[in-house]
Amino acid sequence: MNTRLLMMMHVKVGTPLSIGAVPYGTRRTAPLSGGTFEGPRLRGTILPGSSADWQLLRSDGVLEMDLRFTLRTDDGALVSMSSFGLRHGPPEVIAAIGRGEPVDPSTYYFRTMPRFETAHPAYSFLNRVVAVASGDRRPEGPIYTIHEVL
Amino acid sequence: MSGPVNSRPLMVLRLATSATQEIGSTADGTLTIFPVVGGSFEGERLRGKVVAGGDWVRARADGTLTLDLRVTLETDDGGLIHMTFTGVRDDANNYFRTVPRFETAAPKYAFLNRLLAVGIGEIRPEGPVHIIEEIL
Repeated sequence: MNTRLLMMMHVKVGTPLSIGAVPYGTRRTAPLSGGTFEGPRLRGTILPGSSADWQLLRSDGVLEMDLRFTLRTDDGALVSMSSFGLRHGPPEVIAAIGRGEPVDPSTYYFRTMPRFETAHPAYSFLNRVVAVASGDRRPEGPIYTIHEVL
Repeated sequence: MSGPVNSRPLMVLRLATSATQEIGSTADGTLTIFPVVGGSFEGERLRGKVVAGGDWVRARADGTLTLDLRVTLETDDGGLIHMTFTGVRDDANNYFRTVPRFETAAPKYAFLNRLLAVGIGEIRPEGPVHIIEEIL
């Protein structure tokens, strides 16, 4: 599969809210309180308020992520980004992440599929792109390496 | 993973569609439904036939099509798999990519519940073909 780097994204996570046991698993939401993104064709900041992660821990142990971000580029364009993602791995690795310890990202599966929407002509290419992100859950917040699928 | 994205082949999906249902211009673009009446899928780890389904295709104002497919797959050993994808088809740039997801209760195929995938679509004379890779 041919891809090229779209951007790296460093995300700050706010205080999560545990919704608790819901029909399909355990639901938790986490506000995304800021961060930055940077790549060859775009860079800027993550806007708080409209950026959050709706997580569902499924009965099979897989964490489903439903992420929404509003991005503001350094030249003022707003880009809406939404991703569906999965995170899972050996129980001891997932537990270490839960305790806020640094963990080698190659020891677990953390991938998301971002899609973008924007009205800004300079970034309209994003409307037509399918992308793949690889996540690294650092104690200070997740880092996503996002590639455009060519 | 700042290097290339690692992936491996999952399946080649061939869809048989019947006459389209033109819903027409709606608040969300121009909607055309492609009934899926059959087809096949084949990969190293699974193969079988497409039971039924459909693809809800919307023509957007920017000239691209968005896809929203759901089908039921039946493996050659009787497993049922619910498959969906969303995707974008931009004929002007020869870009047709999808993001499939799978849901199954068959233990042998439970790995499908835990993976993300990308499909490269092609419209061939015999119907749509999707070459689907698992994201590693």
